[in-house]
Amino acid sequence: MTAPARMRVGLWLGFVLACAIIVARSQFGADLAAFLPSSPSPTQRFLVDELREGVVSRLVLAGIEGREPEQLTALSRGLAVRLQKDEQFVYIANGEQDGLRADGEFLWRNRYLLSPEVTAERFTAAGIRRGLEQQLDLLSSPTSMLVGNLLPRDPTGEMLRLIERLQGEGGPQKRDGVWFSADGKRALLVAQTRAAGFDIDAQERALAQIRAAFEDARKERNVTDAHLVVTGPGIFAVESRAGIKRDAILFSLISTLLVSAILLFVYRSLRVLALTLVPVASGAVAGIAAVSLAFGSVHGVTLGFGATLIGEAVDYAIYLFTNTAPGTTPKSTLQRIWPTLRLGMLTSVFGFGAMLFSGFPGLSQLGLFSITGLIVAVSVTRWVLPELVPAGYHVRTAAGLGAPLMRWLGLARRLRVPLVLLVIATAGWLMVRGSTVWDDELSSLSPVAQEAQNLDQQMRNDLGAPDVGLLVVASGASEQAVLETVERVGAALAALRGEGVLGGFDSPAFYLPSIAAQRARQEAIPDAASLQRNLTAAAHGLPFRAGTFAPFIVDAQQAKRHAPLTAQDLAGTGLALKLQSLLVQRHNGWFAMMPLRNVADRVRLEAGLSAYDRSQVVILDMKRELDGLYRGYRMRALGFAILGAVAIALLLLVTLRSVRRSWDVMAPLAAAVLVTAGILLATGARLNIFHLVALLLVVGVGSNYTLFFERGSPGSADPQRTATAVLFCNLSTVMGFGVLGFAATPVLSAIGTTVATGAFLSLLFALVLRPAAPPPR
Amino acid sequence: MPGWEQCACRVAAVALVFALGLTAPAAVRAADAAAPWGIEPLMQQLSAVDHSQARFVERKYLKVLKAPLELSGTLTYTRPGRLEKRTLKPKPETLTVAEDSVILENPARNERRVLKLQDYPVLWGFIESIRATMGGDLKALRRFYRVDLEGGPAQWRLFLAPIDRRMNEVISLIRIDGSQARIDRIEVQEARGDRSVMDIREDKR
Repeated sequence: MTAPARMRVGLWLGFVLACAIIVARSQFGADLAAFLPSSPSPTQRFLVDELREGVVSRLVLAGIEGREPEQLTALSRGLAVRLQKDEQFVYIANGEQDGLRADGEFLWRNRYLLSPEVTAERFTAAGIRRGLEQQLDLLSSPTSMLVGNLLPRDPTGEMLRLIERLQGEGGPQKRDGVWFSADGKRALLVAQTRAAGFDIDAQERALAQIRAAFEDARKERNVTDAHLVVTGPGIFAVESRAGIKRDAILFSLISTLLVSAILLFVYRSLRVLALTLVPVASGAVAGIAAVSLAFGSVHGVTLGFGATLIGEAVDYAIYLFTNTAPGTTPKSTLQRIWPTLRLGMLTSVFGFGAMLFSGFPGLSQLGLFSITGLIVAVSVTRWVLPELVPAGYHVRTAAGLGAPLMRWLGLARRLRVPLVLLVIATAGWLMVRGSTVWDDELSSLSPVAQEAQNLDQQMRNDLGAPDVGLLVVASGASEQAVLETVERVGAALAALRGEGVLGGFDSPAFYLPSIAAQRARQEAIPDAASLQRNLTAAAHGLPFRAGTFAPFIVDAQQAKRHAPLTAQDLAGTGLALKLQSLLVQRHNGWFAMMPLRNVADRVRLEAGLSAYDRSQVVILDMKRELDGLYRGYRMRALGFAILGAVAIALLLLVTLRSVRRSWDVMAPLAAAVLVTAGILLATGARLNIFHLVALLLVVGVGSNYTLFFERGSPGSADPQRTATAVLFCNLSTVMGFGVLGFAATPVLSAIGTTVATGAFLSLLFALVLRPAAPPPR
Repeated sequence: MPGWEQCACRVAAVALVFALGLTAPAAVRAADAAAPWGIEPLMQQLSAVDHSQARFVERKYLKVLKAPLELSGTLTYTRPGRLEKRTLKPKPETLTVAEDSVILENPARNERRVLKLQDYPVLWGFIESIRATMGGDLKALRRFYRVDLEGGPAQWRLFLAPIDRRMNEVISLIRIDGSQARIDRIEVQEARGDRSVMDIREDKR
């Protein structure tokens, strides 16, 4: 080895070591929001943040099933008691009254600050009289259950009002005081973690804690056959990270083994086999390190994508080794095939370059990873690998393989007409299907398996969690400003509800009124003497015993002097959770959400709220907005893919300086991409963003084959050797990705299936469409 | 200060006891003369009733009121476990218990409310107690109460003392008077001193 060669190898070793250290220290995430745009509209920004760190992202739903209801109830209690003691959770609820008791006591203590009915008119003699008459009515009716003993302290029935308003929100079914699914087969429990949903390490610890607590409760009750199911955004993140890691490791291993077996058969040398994997491994480590440095953390999907790099990067070494004929050295071979190799790499880099600048963190990660990985892999092949090959080594083309191969290749050209017809038919079919080829559900992006998503939906329904439907979002510069806005909107919504426009709504001001509203209510309460006078006048002629309402005077005066409620006053109640989910502070201000129920007339709703400034009050259709967000994302990704394709075309035109030669390279690729998309759709899939990325990868991988078949390719010193090299490259790619197609993680299997199909078709079409005349030597 | 929930439940319980404290049927099979009389034979006798209709007069002695409230109306029972209390005076109002829900209807206020028994454990105890008595289901009755019986087939008195702590904070004792398979009177003594008495007179069929 010469001195410069030694230096190159030393440099490479140092580089790989540095990358490995960075990788070892990297954070890995599986945050779905990484695949959402980083600079959307303020409303979308709000939604994305909500998905990432809002209360919704912190909720864990647990179900206990597998036994009869009595056992499940006991286990639910046992689990709740244990989790309530745990610092990692801020709130645990399983429907038990003890949890709701805190809510009720908060409402009762603060009824005069919370009730919307508290106005000056309410405490005049006439107002109190009306209240007392109603109370008398209630006492004699079976509904007295809801007033009863509260009467002496609450003759105007404010508590009843507050309870009614809460009950409008509905709730899950109960058995023996514990939440259950509608079919009674699953006890339900809700936990809110202290950590945000995107903090996967913390979510993982919380999940482990829940499992341990359940195990403990199960042991105590000695019911071994009951089991626990958990779901929620944090759980999804934890499980998909684990799943992707597992899949990526397992399937990389399997495909590495398969590819190695083929290569060992061709090379007959373990050392050369190991050398073939050197560029891949270097590229993968460098790619992850680059992403980690640039983004701070590596998304699980990017990591999974690493497995797929094998498919392309391994080709470089295979070209090098299989093209090294007896009597030549790897160095001389490299000099000959380097232009083709470099161009193949550049086409891929141009394709992924578009992704790099897409403005979507997830997609940019994929782009950066691929580009870095490929450049490093091809550089290692070019400058390091030749130094490591044993002197005098060359691959023997398997005797008897070359000749029949060439015969079959000769036959391939006969398929030109059928191929053209197939492409036209596919193109026509895709045109007819139009936009239905796309899967525009945001959930299709989720790395979570469909069954897990179904379970989540079912448990949400059982818990009576409000649909992610229509909501009014109000924004403001401060907590008080947004609460005051919400109170005005609430008054408008209440009027609309009276007209039947909507069935009801929830509001953060129900749980924490603005200070202005609280002060107004306090001022509406007369002083003790006036209140007593009004009360005496009101009770005249009614059968109430004298002195009955003395406690009311005391309570009302206390409320009048009470310091206004703040969010801290709700601590420890379920209402705090409600408030936190409806009122949030973001870096760009305060936001309040008012979920609407049973909206019957969208037009009148919008008209009713049209008086409000659009920048402060908007009606939001969550699902439409999120799916729209994704559709926009997909459209932009498609745009970037097309941009990438154009960049590749320009690159080829500039490098090859020939339209015909560029056409030779591009036509089979375009046909392969089109037919692959057609096959995917024909097998029932709908295309999502990951298919799109995979099709781009098809162009990258496929160009390596087509470049070797275009007229004037400098790599074809020996057609038989070239054909064998390309065939083995293709075989290894198809195998590597084909195996990935069996992965359980939807993202990985989508990429695997698409690239395996596309790579195979690229080669096939390259052979079919290859120029008639043998390429010039 | 009493907890709001406790108060609500307490009154709920009372209201329902009055509401449900019903009736007893005329169609009674002749008791097996050979068997010694006791709680089991009484329950068996009660469980044989399929349907009954009665009128009621209910008096609520409440501490907050100078005079008792008087209500009257009809009671209907259909096996298994469907009860309807239709108050006619002083204001029309209907309460129906079916399976695990209570339906409250007030035509004057145009109101209809459905409550799940599971959400109101104390209330559920009361409903089950009445239902279990009506249906002669001793096992269900004993889930909520300590049960004592006085008297003989012709004139008996059932004492129900709540077992559950939360229920005990609301109700101290329920007394049900009856003769054969007929319920004549239900008296509820509340923990805080209020009291209600409901007299039941079965319609001729």
